[in-house]
Amino acid sequence: MTLIAARPGPGAARPYRFPQVVRRTVAGGQVVAAHLPGQNLAVALLLLDAGAGREPVGKDGVGGVLAKALEEGTAQRDATAYALAIEALGTELVTGLDRDSFQVSVQVPVERLGAAVELLAEAVRTPRLDPADVRRVRDDEATALRMDWANPGPRADAALRADLFGVGNRWGRPMYGDPDTVAGLDVDDVTVFHSEWFIRPGTLIVAGDLERIDLDALAAAAFAGAGGGPVEKRGPIEVTLHDRRRIILVDRPGSVQSTLRLGHPSPHRAHPDHVPMTLAGTVLGGAFTSRLNHLIREVRGYTYGIRGDFASSRRFGRFAVSSGVQTAVTAPALVEAVGEITRTQLTGVTEDELAVARSWRAGQLSVELQSPRAIAAALTTLVVHDLPDDYHARLREALLAADVEQVSAAAATHLHPHALTLVVEGDSAVIRDELVAADLGEVVDHAG
Amino acid sequence: MPDSGYPWPIETTRLDNGLRVVVSEDRTAPAVAVNLWYDVGSRHEPDGQTGFAHLFEHLMFEGSVNVAKTEHMKLVQGAGGSLNATTNPDRTNYFETVPAEHLELALWLEADRMGGLVPALTQETLDNQREVVKNERRQRYENVPYGDAWLRLLPLLYPPGHPYHHATIGSMADLNAAELATFQAFHTTYYAPNNGVLTVVGDADTAEVFALADKYFGAIPAREDIPVAPDGRTVPATGRPAVETVTADVPAPRVYVAHRTHPYGTPGYDVTTVLATVLGTGRGSRLYQRLADGERIAQPDLVGAYGVDLAHGPAPLIATATARPGVTADRLAAGLADVVDELVTVPVTAAELDRAKALLSTQWWRHMSTVDGRADVLGRYATQFGDPAKIGERLPAWLAVTAEQIAEQAAELLGAADRATLTYLPEETS
Repeated sequence: MTLIAARPGPGAARPYRFPQVVRRTVAGGQVVAAHLPGQNLAVALLLLDAGAGREPVGKDGVGGVLAKALEEGTAQRDATAYALAIEALGTELVTGLDRDSFQVSVQVPVERLGAAVELLAEAVRTPRLDPADVRRVRDDEATALRMDWANPGPRADAALRADLFGVGNRWGRPMYGDPDTVAGLDVDDVTVFHSEWFIRPGTLIVAGDLERIDLDALAAAAFAGAGGGPVEKRGPIEVTLHDRRRIILVDRPGSVQSTLRLGHPSPHRAHPDHVPMTLAGTVLGGAFTSRLNHLIREVRGYTYGIRGDFASSRRFGRFAVSSGVQTAVTAPALVEAVGEITRTQLTGVTEDELAVARSWRAGQLSVELQSPRAIAAALTTLVVHDLPDDYHARLREALLAADVEQVSAAAATHLHPHALTLVVEGDSAVIRDELVAADLGEVVDHAG
Repeated sequence: MPDSGYPWPIETTRLDNGLRVVVSEDRTAPAVAVNLWYDVGSRHEPDGQTGFAHLFEHLMFEGSVNVAKTEHMKLVQGAGGSLNATTNPDRTNYFETVPAEHLELALWLEADRMGGLVPALTQETLDNQREVVKNERRQRYENVPYGDAWLRLLPLLYPPGHPYHHATIGSMADLNAAELATFQAFHTTYYAPNNGVLTVVGDADTAEVFALADKYFGAIPAREDIPVAPDGRTVPATGRPAVETVTADVPAPRVYVAHRTHPYGTPGYDVTTVLATVLGTGRGSRLYQRLADGERIAQPDLVGAYGVDLAHGPAPLIATATARPGVTADRLAAGLADVVDELVTVPVTAAELDRAKALLSTQWWRHMSTVDGRADVLGRYATQFGDPAKIGERLPAWLAVTAEQIAEQAAELLGAADRATLTYLPEETS
């Protein structure tokens, strides 16, 4: 054999460095920017405190409808003229929504950033919101959600979320609403949500070569005409765990796979165990090399992939596992997945596994934070969670310092295999009896 | 705007065994991308072996002579890296991005599976990954509405025997019949150093990379007479449209209109790229303006057009739209065809052209904004066009496309007789 058998060790590591962060208050709003020298592309993102958590219960999805309606014309031009103006700069208006924030952004060659931010602000601050347009956008959004909900996954996600957090709470309902809540919105819901949350200045995030960007001019454009101060952010929500495990069966006749969503509530983002929890989740289900993917994919061949993690927002969190498995192996896949969660909770992680998990998470801070878009997303994390400029460097240190005892303790404390809700979206006629026989918990048929 | 689409250095060398090595230094961040293109894809698969190139890609992660089963992923992730591989009709690529101090590990891993896969390949591994791939097929193609559109479009566009006739994922029957010896032979045949390009981009020294490439890959023997795939450059026109209508469990009627254009990398395909952007990217595109906004017969989020960047035959241009509630498939199909036909009769304006070029410029620089994005494109240009430096020509070529060229191409290639139309109809609900 001609190959070199000895595995090479690492060379000398260069020190980790997150781009220099610049923070300013301009024209009543906050600017948070990262300097990317020599980068031709730049991203500007307006971050508003208008996430799904601000939507009233029953008005679920109003933020998503408003996001689309922003592009249906402004005080200055109609929808077609707006589309042509912004796309002529090389960008589309990109909107995003999570539990904590609403984001609207542009990505352009750096010399066009000023013009792009002016158009961004024009849509956010002065949308036309013509009632006929808003109704049409609402109907289109309801149709788009119906299309999406025809795929496996959304119904299972909604069933899990409702079971964990209660369908009477906004955080127990889908991020973008469901086809019915969106269809039920009226024009006033949209215009009121806009006037309540889209006029406040917010935070302008910028990632690019700051030597070629005038931050003050960008901020002046982004915050022109804005008013109203920040609204107090609400504290973490107390969520109680279920006292027993159960299966919710969502029928999908003829499905060749069963979609699995397993989960229970977990701590909010600012919880002191955030880092050891992240690592415990990585060992269990967060990486290709995780326990779940190894057993269910690489040993059993039941699936193309299975993942699990702890995820959290400012007010709450959840542990969840998701996969699609061949219909015939639905019950054994569930039994084995619950078995791995239980084993991890009881016996913790090993040093070998943790070594991979902590190096991977730490290395990803170099490897995955390259593009202006990725850096802008990292800056939004700083703003939404009130974190310092050197957060990513500190996170890296914390990841590398976490030991087996800490991570095993986090697994023991924050995994709850007996409180899991196991949602299965699949062909009920084929799998129901086996699920009952698997004896993992009571099997409940999901209505609708 | 720079004159070149690639303002970074490019250095190349070729090892004695034929392995081409491309290095592009960029010391901005302490990360390095390693990328291997092998010039083998599903176009090389004979009848009865569809899906083998892709299934083989899975086997490359399951260990080699000095790397135990499951160790490959563990070593790369344990070094802080990201990794993956993809297979398409043209080629197979393997890539990892790691913190710069782990470059040598990545090269060692790639060399070990190039030179030492076969002894480690077992029946158990094949059986396991066959099941994984069958689940991939279920998850991506069978269990989602419209999931099989690509599988249906290819045979409409390319006749039996053409290398693009069948889809890369393959058929369940062929996957079930796959035998270990076939895969051992597949590796011996195609995974030779003279059939690959190794690209390294990022925080690395060029001379050092060349030396490391020679150290780890240099002793792997070249293979003579690697078989070539069937020639797919010409597809005889049938003189009549290809039409397929599928009734399936889908939430709304959807239409795909597809045409054969030119191979990726040719001036003709540069025109296709700009044409597709004029036609179907963004709210300012013709399809959006006419079908989603104007007539309001198409769902706004699901209308678009794109070229599929294949280089060994006339690449597909695909336009698609999904009906708004109450709109029939026939009406939608007629509307979609009209907008494509108008590329001949209604000249593309300067504003439309500028819009498309601005969007394409951003798309290009976005792709170039990461070391992994750059490594993959350099590997493509070295593999398919023999010279990675040609990468710098693509963006300027897009920016030079004229409205006249778009109209000419539409007249030449996008006529009704050369059109494949695939329509999905929802099942009757009782």
